[in-house]
Amino acid sequence: MTILYQIITVGVIALVGWNLLREKRLVEQMAAALVLIPLILRVLMIK
Amino acid sequence: MKRREEGYGRWWTAVALLVAAAAVLLVAGRSFLAMRVDLPIYPGPGVTQIGALSDYFDGLIGTPADTAVYVLEGDEPGGTALVLGGTHPNEPASSLTAIALIESVTIVRGRLIVIPRANRSAFTCTEPQEGYPQTYTIETPEGPREFRYGSRGTNPVHQWPDPVIYINAAGQSLAGAEVRNLNRSYPGTPSGNLTERLAYAMVELIRREGVDIAIDLHEASPEYPVINAIVAHERALNIAAEAALFLEFEGVQIGVERSPENLRGLSHREWGDFTDTLALLVEAPNPAQGRLRGRTSAELIVEGVDPYYVRAAERGLLYVPFSAEGHPIDERVGRHLQTVAVLLDVYNTYSADDIVMAGVPTLADVLDRGIGAYLAPPGGGIESPT
Repeated sequence: MTILYQIITVGVIALVGWNLLREKRLVEQMAAALVLIPLILRVLMIK
Repeated sequence: MKRREEGYGRWWTAVALLVAAAAVLLVAGRSFLAMRVDLPIYPGPGVTQIGALSDYFDGLIGTPADTAVYVLEGDEPGGTALVLGGTHPNEPASSLTAIALIESVTIVRGRLIVIPRANRSAFTCTEPQEGYPQTYTIETPEGPREFRYGSRGTNPVHQWPDPVIYINAAGQSLAGAEVRNLNRSYPGTPSGNLTERLAYAMVELIRREGVDIAIDLHEASPEYPVINAIVAHERALNIAAEAALFLEFEGVQIGVERSPENLRGLSHREWGDFTDTLALLVEAPNPAQGRLRGRTSAELIVEGVDPYYVRAAERGLLYVPFSAEGHPIDERVGRHLQTVAVLLDVYNTYSADDIVMAGVPTLADVLDRGIGAYLAPPGGGIESPT
């Protein structure tokens, strides 16, 4: 179960990261950067 | 105009934001990981042996739920008592009382087993969206010493996911999040989740060590009805009632509650039903825990002063008196220490296997000198093995 959760989270991180690099609006880029923080903490099983 | 439609985002702003996110990640990650390191406990002169809970159930070996078990044994044979602190690490007077017993008390007759971090995993996180500090500070005569503030339940990193409805080993249906609550998981099961295995190990310890009387220390929010109380299994009810009388004579306001027979999974019920021990649970008032509290801080945990609770008390919404002086941790730990001492004194009047402690401070002692006077100095002594 946990490994499945981590795989899904890595997928979401990849999509958010891709959006961050492609996004032209600065506010959206900032939102994507903020969302990445808890996602990475999750996938590393830190929080 | 074209620039405005496309926005100000560029590849280099994306890179700059990624660097900023990495910096925040680093700081936050280090802070969260630091909670997984146990703050030291310094065994006092009364400690004769330090073991691990996994000694009683190898299903805990190498897990974040394995925890240190401190044994204080007197020179003369007698009975065995167990004191549990830190079942809920967001109820700090419970673990602090256990630590004070480990660091300052000696045993004349019998044995005292103390587990100060009953749910060790729950000390590694705090409750989401509650704004709790990760530590609080107690002043000792030699300087300030930090203690961990934790969560009510096992860290979800260690046990996941929560079910929608949790049915514990005793058959009680509970809300899903209670699956990580040690005090809803008794008597536990060896093949269950981490919290159930932890509960099973506790019951195994009680059985194998022949614990005669077991006391689970807690705190409750001031608006919770079971507060300033001893909750007793029916076999321990006479001891609880007599102890409450003595405590009232000594100026400690305390009530007695009978353990409900149809509320399953709690220590005072399952320890009493599944082992021969006399099972008791003790509650003190913790303003930092309640829903009516104001700003949440380490000061609130230690000083217990909250103007919103004063207003709630004036409106009759609380189950304890609440003045501007609040309920400081000195008072809460002092209550627990005196209650443990009186419970054992009363137990001794009924049993030939005495458990006699020396050096247990009373509530008045702790209010006079502060709980720091009964703890080891910061950085002193021998570190705990887990």
